[in-house]
Amino acid sequence: MTVLASLLLADSRLPTGGHAHSGGVEAAVERGLLRDEADLALFLAGRLLGTGPVVAAVAAVGCLLAAGAAPVDWARWDTAVSARTPSAAAREASRAQGAALLRTGRRVWPSTALEALSRTGRPHHPLVLGAVVAAAGDGAGAAALLALHHLLGGACAAAVRLLGLDPIAVAAVQAYASRSAEQVALGAARLAREAVAQQETRLLPSTGTPLPEVLAELHARTEVALFAS
Amino acid sequence: MKARAELTVEDGPDAPRLRWRCAPPVLLRPTGPRRVHLVQVGGGPLGGDDLALDVDLGAGSHLQLRSAAAMVVQPGRPPAAARWTVAAALASGAVLDWQPEPTVVCDGAELRSRMAVAMQRGAWAVLREMVVLGRAGQRGGRYHGELTVELDGAPLLAHTLLLDGADPALAGPAGTGGARVVGMLAVVGAGLDGPPEGAREEPGLRWACSALDGPGQLLLALGDSPSAVSALLDRSAQNWSEFRSALS
Repeated sequence: MTVLASLLLADSRLPTGGHAHSGGVEAAVERGLLRDEADLALFLAGRLLGTGPVVAAVAAVGCLLAAGAAPVDWARWDTAVSARTPSAAAREASRAQGAALLRTGRRVWPSTALEALSRTGRPHHPLVLGAVVAAAGDGAGAAALLALHHLLGGACAAAVRLLGLDPIAVAAVQAYASRSAEQVALGAARLAREAVAQQETRLLPSTGTPLPEVLAELHARTEVALFAS
Repeated sequence: MKARAELTVEDGPDAPRLRWRCAPPVLLRPTGPRRVHLVQVGGGPLGGDDLALDVDLGAGSHLQLRSAAAMVVQPGRPPAAARWTVAAALASGAVLDWQPEPTVVCDGAELRSRMAVAMQRGAWAVLREMVVLGRAGQRGGRYHGELTVELDGAPLLAHTLLLDGADPALAGPAGTGGARVVGMLAVVGAGLDGPPEGAREEPGLRWACSALDGPGQLLLALGDSPSAVSALLDRSAQNWSEFRSALS
């Protein structure tokens, strides 16, 4: 039975350092580009189209690789994630969150795959998330969903803190976005299975939208910020 | 309409040797010893078109690729995406300077653009793309632009830019934030492992130049007017050209 393990992984109370990151919300709020619940809904929809398929597919890949019997060249897959993250600030945020999650994951669900992954240095967050999902006993579909759940949840929590939005209204926005996230996760998990079966990183999605990537760099150069990214 | 043009450049003792095969409506015109202009005859591409260009640069060869006019993507009947694919192979020491005119995606049109660059270590590439969402007064159509750069077979950049002036999510705060013009300049090659990089915003223009996880940088710019973004990309390309000259 792994439902409770996956729920624990989805729970923001699990200490993984995610609260230090706003998923790009703070930079958008600072510039008046995101002001209310309607803007937040558009923001989430844009993130699900842009980075959503990438993080979901990479998490599914991490899960499939960690659950497989074959030895894994983690560095090769990690390089493919870096290539899909052209912003150095976004890569750093991903690696920092990956390190925090890996620290927690190794203690909570010890596994040989997580030990092997930790020897590659500071792997990207969605790759770690997938491997931790495998260690907790769940599958690639769950890993893809969890990656999107974190994408949406991190942005929503930050929007509540930064804008003082009504938490119930924000929960409704997240629930609405979660419905399209289910579809994104299904498509991403399918691509991930194909990529792992063929050992071909080129099959992973590489979608992105321009404003979050530019803002990630501008935010990293901001002197006073509440969130690291 | 489906067409695939080819261009091969080899370094010669005096001048480089150019060989090409045009495939209407994609025509190639040498306009200098190391420069070729791409000419798209008949306008377009239109929805449903599938146009391609293969470029092969031999060891040590240099090529400036330009285009004669903006690529204006118009919707077709029945509605279908237009496809434009450029595949470039760069041997060691080759230099590709690819700076075409802007791509304008009109209302109701969709372009699926793909640029795949395979480089050997020691090659150098400047890759520019500027997309304008719609003609004046339009919101603009849909753009799906994939750019991949591989260095000795390993991925250095894999980025698919999604734009759609008629999609509130892609035109919203996690899309373009209402900007009409998106510009990109990727520079890849030896000596690019660290700075220079930067990020700035001013009225009508936001940009960031970030180091890739390897020898390369990507400048991404969002602007309200083509001229502001274009001037930024010109300036950056000029800086990189001087940077490369200083290296050699």
